[in-house]
Amino acid sequence: MTDAASEEVADQVEISCQACGSTLLLDSNLRTTVCPYCASPSVIERPPSANRPAPSFVVGFVVDHDRAAEAVRSWISSTSIFARSDFKQAAPELTRGVYLPAYLYGAVADSNYSARIGENYTETETYTTTDSKGNTVTRTRTVTKTEYRSLSGDHSTYIVDVVVTASAGVTNEALEAIEPFDLRALRRYEPSFISGWLAEDPSRSKDDCFQLSHDESVAKVEQMLHDFMPGDSHSGLQFETRLSQEVIDLVLLPVWSFAVRYAEDRPPVQILVNGQTGRVGGKVPISAIKVTIAVLIGVAIVGGFALAIASSH
Amino acid sequence: MTTAIQNCERCESPLETGDLRCSICGQASPADRPHAETLTIQILRCKGCGAATAYDIEHQAPSCTFCDSVVEVETVDDPMEQSEGYLPFTTGQDEARKAMRHWLSSLGWFRPSDLTTSARLEQLKPLWWVGWVFDAESEVSWAADSNAGSRRSAWAPHSGQVNMTFDDILVSASRGLSQSEVSAIGPGCDLGSIRDQPEGAQNATIEQFDLQRSQARQQIIAAIQNIAAARVEQNEIPGTSFRKTSVSVVLRKLITRRISLPAWVLAYRYKGRLYRMVISGQDASYVTGTAPYSIAKIIFVALCAVVAFLAFFAVVAAR
Repeated sequence: MTDAASEEVADQVEISCQACGSTLLLDSNLRTTVCPYCASPSVIERPPSANRPAPSFVVGFVVDHDRAAEAVRSWISSTSIFARSDFKQAAPELTRGVYLPAYLYGAVADSNYSARIGENYTETETYTTTDSKGNTVTRTRTVTKTEYRSLSGDHSTYIVDVVVTASAGVTNEALEAIEPFDLRALRRYEPSFISGWLAEDPSRSKDDCFQLSHDESVAKVEQMLHDFMPGDSHSGLQFETRLSQEVIDLVLLPVWSFAVRYAEDRPPVQILVNGQTGRVGGKVPISAIKVTIAVLIGVAIVGGFALAIASSH
Repeated sequence: MTTAIQNCERCESPLETGDLRCSICGQASPADRPHAETLTIQILRCKGCGAATAYDIEHQAPSCTFCDSVVEVETVDDPMEQSEGYLPFTTGQDEARKAMRHWLSSLGWFRPSDLTTSARLEQLKPLWWVGWVFDAESEVSWAADSNAGSRRSAWAPHSGQVNMTFDDILVSASRGLSQSEVSAIGPGCDLGSIRDQPEGAQNATIEQFDLQRSQARQQIIAAIQNIAAARVEQNEIPGTSFRKTSVSVVLRKLITRRISLPAWVLAYRYKGRLYRMVISGQDASYVTGTAPYSIAKIIFVALCAVVAFLAFFAVVAAR
């Protein structure tokens, strides 16, 4: 199954343009194409399969090409001082604006949890000290102490709006970097929505995507449980979550994808721009030389300081 | 008017026209468009001029580059809330007037003695205010600190889970009436008597919802959480004092009705100042409002207290 699927992805399909009749070769993971001869936009619809369900929803592009390129330029120039200089000077190349396949996941999460809940209380204690005249005196002060009580229980909640990548070309971390998408602007999928744009079909298996969704859901539950705990503080939170009544829908998200080629010998860096909000995300290549210099300067300062203290003694 | 089209398959809350997903659990609403059974390639053509259409950023929709017409697509619909029905006025102006006099005379000794006789009614207006009435089932998980089982600290943690049903719970959407006014007169309404048209009063002010559906749902869910937390504190958590109560509510079958409820809004003048009263339009015994205090009486009581206090000290000191 997986072999057949990956072969199919690598394959190309031959279609004929419905406007001028010319034959087009198309990567089989794409849902759209534009005829190079007559510029007609075509939308390809395949029968849905387990790993390639039909899209339910689509979020339309809001940010246009110029704004996206501008956002990437200002993002690159504002990256950390440890970024490679050639990266900061590189010009981003636009690959394409693409409708990225992603899954919108929801479930009911039932969790058992246990934690140590810290409840504060104050105590008055006496202590001895020396006053300004050098006499030993006894004084009292109130101190805040914490008593720990164990608490265990059940927690149920809906998990909604978990978004995970369904494209092998974009990791979930890369997608998370440009989230959130405003899901209030969700549209029911219509082929006309992606016409004229690049749109991918899912290239990750549904099992993979379920796993990603589960991980994100458990992380959400953990955050909720931290907010849920009573007491002045808590520690040692342990929980086990069971997800049931799951729903998963394929949604196409608008993404501008840029490649930054900053050195001949390095692979280009992928930078994504949220096509709805303009948020930029990507991995910044760190300059080993800059980091080394910074470390050396740090060591020199500490060393000089230590030396100064040693010589003053 | 927004209408429920069908129930969500998962949590059985009604979906309304324009909902792409259930607002409670996030389940997608069923689409009417069948999916392709075989590989199809299509060029989507403009219905106006026949040219190929493509999604256009400027229009936020597929549009034709030649004739600039926009293709209609199904989007999340977020209309303004509209009232679905009116509770009729069953009390008249005279009853409202009577209720005012009665209320003013029942306020107690600290009010001016001539309040009932000198208060002059300036305005008496019928008002239909807006609110949501909802029913729902839910599973509520809770955790809280309470004094029960406490040791050195005054607080001990507790947790639990409970099924809760909500029946005809009224949540105010009114801008004209304050929250405390609504909670005072709300219980006087008979929610079973909803009519299609305003009935029982002339020249009434009819308040409109000024919220969109999505905001309304947020307000309702926030209200449900507050009610759940209050009920948990009342019935579930052991002990008598509580803090840090958190609830997590899994809702099912949330059914919301948007209704207009009747109230008499009165303004009366006492010694040059205006005071306001609100009376339920269905049961004149539900009354709330503001009224002056008698400064003279309060000073008198305070002086008496001081005198009594001094006398007590004098007696104690003399012994």
